[in-house]
Amino acid sequence: MMIDKVWVNMNVNSLLFCLVAVPLFGSALLPTLGKIDEKLRNIVALALMVFSFIMSCVILPGIAEGQNVEFTLGGVTLFYADKLAIFMALVSQSVGCIIILYSFGYIKSYEHRNEYYFMVVLFLAAMMGLVFSSNILWIYFFWEITAIVCWRLIGFFREKEYVIRADKAFFVTVFGALMMLCGFLMVYSQTGTFDLRGIREWCTANGSISDIAVLFILFGILSKSATLPLHTWLADAGVAPSPVTALLHAAVLVKIGVYVFARLLVATFIINEIWFEIVPWIAAVSALVSACAALVETDIKRIVAYSTVSQLAFIFLGLSAGSDVGVVGGLLYILMHGIAKAGLFLCAGIVEHETHNKDIRKMGGLVKTMPVTAVSFALCAFSVMGIPPFGGFFSKYMVIVGTVDVGQVAVGLTFVAGAFLTLAYLLRVFTLVFLGASRAADDGHGQPHEGTPIMVFSVALLAALSLLSGVVIQPSFQFAQNAVQQMLSR
Amino acid sequence: MITFFIALPLLVVLILNLLPRKQADALSFWCGMALTVVSGIYVLMAPRPMTSDFDPVNLVLNWKIVTSDLTAVMLISIALVVFSAFWVGRYLLEDENRQFIFNNLLLLCMVGMNGVVFSQDLFTLYVFLEIVGASSFILIALERTKAGLEGAFKYILLSFVATVLILSSVAMLFMVCGSLDYEAVRICLTSGTLDENTSRFVLFAVGLFAAGLLIKGGMVPFHGWLPDAYSSAPTPVSVLLGGIVTKAAGIFTLIQLVRNVFVFEGVSPVLLVIGTVSIAVGAFAAMGQSNFKRLLAYSSISQIGYIIVGLGSGHIIGIVGAILHLFNHSVFKTLLFVNAAAVEKQSGTVEMDKLGGLSNKMPVTGFASVLGFLSAAGIPPLSGFWSKVLIVVGLWKAGAPMAAIIAILLSLITLAYFLSVQRKVFFGKLASGLEGVKEADFRVLVPTILLVLITLVIGLTFPWLFDTFLVPLESFL
Repeated sequence: MMIDKVWVNMNVNSLLFCLVAVPLFGSALLPTLGKIDEKLRNIVALALMVFSFIMSCVILPGIAEGQNVEFTLGGVTLFYADKLAIFMALVSQSVGCIIILYSFGYIKSYEHRNEYYFMVVLFLAAMMGLVFSSNILWIYFFWEITAIVCWRLIGFFREKEYVIRADKAFFVTVFGALMMLCGFLMVYSQTGTFDLRGIREWCTANGSISDIAVLFILFGILSKSATLPLHTWLADAGVAPSPVTALLHAAVLVKIGVYVFARLLVATFIINEIWFEIVPWIAAVSALVSACAALVETDIKRIVAYSTVSQLAFIFLGLSAGSDVGVVGGLLYILMHGIAKAGLFLCAGIVEHETHNKDIRKMGGLVKTMPVTAVSFALCAFSVMGIPPFGGFFSKYMVIVGTVDVGQVAVGLTFVAGAFLTLAYLLRVFTLVFLGASRAADDGHGQPHEGTPIMVFSVALLAALSLLSGVVIQPSFQFAQNAVQQMLSR
Repeated sequence: MITFFIALPLLVVLILNLLPRKQADALSFWCGMALTVVSGIYVLMAPRPMTSDFDPVNLVLNWKIVTSDLTAVMLISIALVVFSAFWVGRYLLEDENRQFIFNNLLLLCMVGMNGVVFSQDLFTLYVFLEIVGASSFILIALERTKAGLEGAFKYILLSFVATVLILSSVAMLFMVCGSLDYEAVRICLTSGTLDENTSRFVLFAVGLFAAGLLIKGGMVPFHGWLPDAYSSAPTPVSVLLGGIVTKAAGIFTLIQLVRNVFVFEGVSPVLLVIGTVSIAVGAFAAMGQSNFKRLLAYSSISQIGYIIVGLGSGHIIGIVGAILHLFNHSVFKTLLFVNAAAVEKQSGTVEMDKLGGLSNKMPVTGFASVLGFLSAAGIPPLSGFWSKVLIVVGLWKAGAPMAAIIAILLSLITLAYFLSVQRKVFFGKLASGLEGVKEADFRVLVPTILLVLITLVIGLTFPWLFDTFLVPLESFL
């Protein structure tokens, strides 16, 4: 009995390692496989992510019961899994799998496919590594790997202009990351350890982390999560191939910053109360400014990108407002926004792919030619707008309630205004693109039609998930609540 | 040790020149290969500390050899860079006669650098420094182009100034201490028996010596010769110069002397200032370059600044970081120069404005250059990241947080200029006129792949190496 349990424990620990390491090192094989056979490479890429997803599912029950899973190699603790980490991992893995599936259809007409799959899988693997990192140096380590990958992916089409934008994104995020590294070093000099649990214990015993360190770390987080004032790279990153933008914006990249915020500033450090006043206001300004930008933009991908900046502010608000309900709402919105926004980007990708156009003023009436995409877009948009019973509604509601609960009524009202703006710009996009008569100039590409089956299937799946996650909110809500309890209990 | 690292290469050079020229031509490359490979493996395998018992040559010379892990790091770096330079020379120098001269001088330069590493008294050090200087002077002018001669002339001129400084400093220290043995000088300087006037005199002498070494290492404000020499030299020579020569002659010696002979305690403001200024000047100057090799040269100034800053922190972690960065710099800078060699040969130019999109045609070189530059910019998961982190942590612990923050933020500039290299040379659309470019052949891919592997493996396994490889480095301090 006893031995049995030990064996199971050991296994769970090494599963944790496998779920990061297999895609991480497996991704390097993809270019070679691609030289042998394209199909094989695609299937292996998907298999790597599915494997990682299944591993997470396998270790999930143990963690849900409060068991600690950690992996140590040669005296160095590498990975550690708790509820927050596994929640985040499952969100990004599931969206990641769908994105890879969608790529099968989307990327096949472009060059450098081997590099594409290598980078995407490496990206998701690095994300897993970051989520499960047991110390802040590892967080930085994986953080930068994702930055490198994004740089390659944004510049994927190799046009000079695109490469410059890729450089910009890389530069801004690395600037933030270096500031964050300074912050980490300050934390280290204060607490004497890089280990997350060590820092947490230190905080419980000795009080708060110095403000300047928090400020520096916040720089890194804001740059990665594309929040004002470091948000400009995100809209430019829209030049990347569409699944990449989906991946970058919705599922993973920007969520890295949010995750690190939750992991460090909420779950690990004790920080000065003042930050719970400052961060909501940064978020509020960010939400309004980017929503207004989304309202006037005409490039479909840029609109969705600005919408991401605006929605991220909701997550930040939930996490930083300082109430439990808010944090639960923030975590849930990571999930809901991940699914819905990935859907929006992938729909935008289909539209762009088929009409060879990104300007919404030159579209219209597409609901007739691509009905599934239109419906999927609508469903995902409803979730982002926060219309019941979609997943987005519950999480947005909890975020705002959480804010008002702690007495920040002004911030709460600002965000209600932000939510209305969301409604406005998404409706605008939908009417201009899918309804009315076609305004497209005849450019010789013929009538636009529905994307390849696999692409349409992916977006329909995401739309269905958006609806389902709202209708059946109980399990995810329960899990998020448990995760928050574990995070906040000291 | 002496037999193998100094006497044997010297003997090889002699024999090669006595043999009939036809055999010697082919033999010179393989002799160099054998020597570098065996010495690399030897250093890796030898038990520490390495002993010099049963050393036939040393029985006659009777040098006192102290080998530490620092020595081992240096010997490996030297072997690695010279190994790469041999391959690149074989790849790039078409004229057989010139290749033969190159191989000979390379061996000679290696003898000089190994000697610098082994020497345990100031005068022997000086002699070996001169061997390095003389052989690199001829190497720079190898092609006898106008630019090459000019670069070599600049180099020899400043090197000469360095020689004068070092030699007079040696004389002064001899006057005060009565011996030039490292150990003896250290005891003489730190025993506290010197009166005030003599201390001032000694300080002056130490200053002269350090200035001489900084010239050799190409540090700001003595860096004027370095970009010209690196960029006008034939590329295989640039590999050698950029990879190791300035570090062996200038920086390693400085570390050795500062820690073991002159014994600076605590934070050294002079070194911190020289280091940070070098980082900044090198980085900003690199941003303005349009010639790939010249850009790499300025980047060298900047990276060596990090080593100096780490050394100046006076903290154990900072110094370990500096030594590791010295090794890392040899690896990634050699890698980048090897890439430059491949680009030069395949496309016919290193002017970045005429290049573009080469990674489409040269995937291995393109990929290697990405890893090289990320390592240089200190981005994980590559080895350059860890050494920079150690240097910064060292600075922080030594109580110089401003220097630490400057060092971190200036690595952003490193990133900026390397991004522009990537954009102009490798990433992006293929430039017109380069449609026929092909990947370089195995002669340049051998060192490329070796260096890439080293960068990656050290970067990925560093937390495990830290205990086995770096902590012992403290032993020499």
